[in-house]
Amino acid sequence: MTAKSQDLLAGVTAPKVRTLLRVVILFFIAGAAVSSRLFSVIRFESIIHEFDPWFNFRATKYLVANGFYKFWDWFDDRTWHPLGRVTGGTLYPGLMVTSGAIYHALRALTIPVDIRNICVLLAPAFSGLTAYATYLLTNEMTTSPSAGLLAAIFMGIAPGYISRSVAGSYDNEAIAIFLLVFTFFLWIKALKLGSMLWGALCALFYGYMVASWGGYAFITCLLPMHALVLICMGRYSTRLYVSYTTWYALGTLASMQIPFVGFLPVKTSEHMPALGIFGFLQLIGFIQYVRSAISGRQFQTFLVTLLVATFGLGLAGLVGLTSLGYIAPWGGRFYSLWDTGYAKIHIPIIASVSEHQPTAWPSFFFDLNFLIWLFPAGVYLCFQNLRDEHVFIVVYAMFGSYFAGVMVRLMLTLTPVVCVAAAIAVSQILDTYLSVKVPIVDETAASSTDSAPKKAKGGLRATEKPNVGIFNNLSKVVVTGAMTIYLLMFVTHCTWVTSNAYSSPSVVLASRLPDGSQHIIDDYREAYQWLRQNTKEDAKIMSWWDYGYQIGGMADRPTLVDNNTWNNTHIATVGKAMSSREEVSYPIMRQHEVDYVLVVFGGLLGYSGDDINKFLWMVRIAEGIWPDEVKERDFFTARGEYKVDHDATETMKNSLMYKMSYYNYNTLFPSGQAVDRVRGVRMPDQGPVLDTVEEAFTSENWIIRIYKVKDLDNVGRDHGAAAAFARGQKKKKIQKKRGARVLRVD
Amino acid sequence: MRSLVSFVLLLFTALVSALSSSGTRLLVVLDAVEEKDAYSTFFTDLVERGYEITYETPKSEGLSLFEHGERNYDHLIFLPSKIKGLGPNLTPNILLDFINAEGNILLTMSSTHSVPSSLVALLSELDVTLPSERTGSVVDHFHYDTISAAESHDVLVLSCPPNVRPGLKDYFQLPGTALTFPRAVGHVLGSGPLLTPILRAPPTAYSYNPKEQADVVDPEDLFAAGKQLALVSVIQALNSARFTILGSAEMLEDKWLEVQVARPQERPQYTSNREFWTSLTAWTFKELGVLRVNSIEHHIVGDDEINPGLYRVKNDVAYKISISEYAWRRWVPFTVPQGDSLQLEFSMLSPFERRDLVAESETHRETIFTTNFTLPDQHGIFNFKINYKRPFLTSLEEKNTVSVRHMAHDEWPRSYVISGAWPWLSGIGVTVVGFVAFSALWMYSQPVKKTSAGAKKTQ
Repeated sequence: MTAKSQDLLAGVTAPKVRTLLRVVILFFIAGAAVSSRLFSVIRFESIIHEFDPWFNFRATKYLVANGFYKFWDWFDDRTWHPLGRVTGGTLYPGLMVTSGAIYHALRALTIPVDIRNICVLLAPAFSGLTAYATYLLTNEMTTSPSAGLLAAIFMGIAPGYISRSVAGSYDNEAIAIFLLVFTFFLWIKALKLGSMLWGALCALFYGYMVASWGGYAFITCLLPMHALVLICMGRYSTRLYVSYTTWYALGTLASMQIPFVGFLPVKTSEHMPALGIFGFLQLIGFIQYVRSAISGRQFQTFLVTLLVATFGLGLAGLVGLTSLGYIAPWGGRFYSLWDTGYAKIHIPIIASVSEHQPTAWPSFFFDLNFLIWLFPAGVYLCFQNLRDEHVFIVVYAMFGSYFAGVMVRLMLTLTPVVCVAAAIAVSQILDTYLSVKVPIVDETAASSTDSAPKKAKGGLRATEKPNVGIFNNLSKVVVTGAMTIYLLMFVTHCTWVTSNAYSSPSVVLASRLPDGSQHIIDDYREAYQWLRQNTKEDAKIMSWWDYGYQIGGMADRPTLVDNNTWNNTHIATVGKAMSSREEVSYPIMRQHEVDYVLVVFGGLLGYSGDDINKFLWMVRIAEGIWPDEVKERDFFTARGEYKVDHDATETMKNSLMYKMSYYNYNTLFPSGQAVDRVRGVRMPDQGPVLDTVEEAFTSENWIIRIYKVKDLDNVGRDHGAAAAFARGQKKKKIQKKRGARVLRVD
Repeated sequence: MRSLVSFVLLLFTALVSALSSSGTRLLVVLDAVEEKDAYSTFFTDLVERGYEITYETPKSEGLSLFEHGERNYDHLIFLPSKIKGLGPNLTPNILLDFINAEGNILLTMSSTHSVPSSLVALLSELDVTLPSERTGSVVDHFHYDTISAAESHDVLVLSCPPNVRPGLKDYFQLPGTALTFPRAVGHVLGSGPLLTPILRAPPTAYSYNPKEQADVVDPEDLFAAGKQLALVSVIQALNSARFTILGSAEMLEDKWLEVQVARPQERPQYTSNREFWTSLTAWTFKELGVLRVNSIEHHIVGDDEINPGLYRVKNDVAYKISISEYAWRRWVPFTVPQGDSLQLEFSMLSPFERRDLVAESETHRETIFTTNFTLPDQHGIFNFKINYKRPFLTSLEEKNTVSVRHMAHDEWPRSYVISGAWPWLSGIGVTVVGFVAFSALWMYSQPVKKTSAGAKKTQ
């Protein structure tokens, strides 16, 4: 407790009561954070959501069943058939290990809880911790007692964070955001105190973060950036040296223990800033030492020589090592952060993911509501003090905003800083307008805070505190009232967004019947259950990669490709099989031992997320590998339209995906009345004919269609001829051919 | 109950008679039941070999190849018929279903009868072409029987030729004997790998239609001539169902057993038709050339666990397969034909290893083939695959799927075992010792007033 806060409430309550109050409030905040995330369980059921969580859930079950070492060396032969996946070495184990640890801890306490419930409720539980971590971080920034609590509640219910952490959303982000914020808090703490202990703690949580989420690179780049900005501002200090070097050395060692990361921290460009700043700090430290040891003029010469030599050598070394291949150049995902069009041209597989698209402006307001316009105010207030930790908020705000603008999913990393900055702004307003002080007290308080960090007074001149205050009750009431309304609206908005936009498991779809009651469309699970019960244990399912994790998790069948898109060629192979003629697809499916093909078709229901709408991505990804065999242009009509009706191109009509989607679809309707409700077009009367696959299952609303791949024809015919014969069509080749006979040679 | 009875019956027949490896119910389709008398030796032979023969005409009401989706007969013989189609019970689709259900068919033809359209359609699905108008007679002006067909030249006398290519079993070879093919219908085979000609017409033979081309054969309208014209061919479907086409039904008749035949300028001799049809029917009805895999074992060399599902890259693996061949009522050890080899593939998408299996040991009813090899340095889902599909032998397609995992984190050699790591290890040692020594020196040296605390912290 600083002097100011005690002044504020002196005589009203005793410090002990305030602490108790604070604890109670924090518990309430955690409760609010958890309960608002339970909409999905109440609305639907306790189920794992979406796609990636299904893999995490499956991995967790494996971990719990087989123990840690088996998990560490896990070779998964039920995905990426027939390549398999070295799963233990290609995942971030933090999430699974956390759930596993909780599971075993509860077991030890003789509380038998199903692992699924732990997985479903992990994200809400950690959101409570995130709120607390935000509280700690904000308290480092400001002396105002209310800012931390405000930041905690903002963080607790901001939709930007809820979007990835509702109950059932069992993804890496569920724990990673807590770790992100907590690591930042520890970093600020270490920097403020110049403490090796806090630096080591920071490195420890950084290691946990690396084990949990690929987004750790954000920390890896942000901390050195903060250090660099501080150095450039002339704020090098032994505190910075100690905290940074401790964090970097221990944190890098910790991160290298994760098999998936391995030697990346010393080999890839993304990690080079941290290494560079580490070296730079050694240099600065050395220069500081030399300056104290030798005279001024000598020092000038020494400094210039040293700087030129170091930068020259460093740059040459970096370029040399990169060109020799020791340091990997920037990866494609990284480039797409700078040029949003890059992925679209070069890496269709990245661009095909909707969450990698640039953010639309309204979504900032949607996800953050009034915080987004308080955010600049909060950043501005940081300039007022501009101590080392405020510089951190400024740097974080800049980078976070940029990345959130480039990629939708990075809204997640922006949310904490928005909450912190907005809380600073709100608390500043409330502190100012709710103050019962007289001007004289305010003056002394201001001068006392200013005098303490003399060095830190390098802020903008315009932000120096003028000696003014609000003493009019009317203006106090108006502003406070307005703020209260804003806060209430924020809560309403958050609750509304959470319950309506972010609580759908996307495994089951909800629709409204005309009478307003909810109707659940459960085709996905119906189909996966069918697979589980009606196919052989090792029947290989080919589908587009979006459904790979779900098939693996719910149907427990091997898949060819899944959402872990590590092998672009394998995905392109599936894309090629889907977008080619049957005669081309069939050998591919045989070679990959495919037993069933699963497609998602929304035409009957008007479900727009179906495979025909994703089809162009399959074509593009396949074209990236086989530009001569698959051509995107062939799927567009002469006028450049993407059509599925009468006007569809021959390539389109003959592609396996088209045929499987629309097979027998016209039989549902009276002749000539078949309509695709997604594309809004009338379909041809004559449906496609399938030779190499046969329909095995179609779900209630036709969303999932499963086809069985036929075996080779028993008597050696091709499938077209065999199917024609089975349909009763006579062979036409009987009449004698003129010209050279085909002779048999053996 | 019925299935139990039939199962017991099947077991009984398998144990006692053990004739065909795939059942004894034989259906003969012919125009009139009395016609069978001409083939009495042929059918008596079959009955003696244990077949239960049913004779039916295509028009018969009760004729049905299937009942409740199960085959009623195991084997089928078609004798030439005058009926144009074969009626609703023997449509091409039903016959194809019969083949797909592993039923075997012996089809005989004769130039005196036109082939039923149902069979023509079936043959065209199998990529076998018959002369147009479904009739045709094979004549050869150099290899005819001078005794019975001195004028018409339509009774061929052929010596049984060797297999079309090396590396096949010699089931049909009867060296130095003569076969007669009276009034044969020739057929032309497509180039599919499932079709194998057993007896091809001599180079001087050709096929013509006696009704339309009685005087002259326009080369444009010639159906086929010489070696392209097959007289006896066999087809083995992927499920090992067998289909044999015999161009001359008459060669099965009794009368050719008693008479002598003679080619021009050669001495008369008795025919070996009986030996030939015996091996032909034995093969068609799976008394010959049936392979059975008794067991497959694969394991890590030096490890006791048999057929593990999981291997590691670079394991040394031993593979062992035991194969028997069914030949004339009993299982005997299978020997790979001369010039052929049985191969094992270890494949994922494409073969990483392909090795000849070596016959290691042989008991009185099985041969054990083995090979040893080192797994490739590639993890994935692999198959031990035997894909042995040869003419005359039932297909062997054995696939044992195993996963090959990567090296676990504790299976690499420890650092101190690798000599190249010693400089680094000693470097670590020196650093540790140096740090401890320095710290000790620092802590126990004379404190220099109060600066030591601050200086220490920056280090």
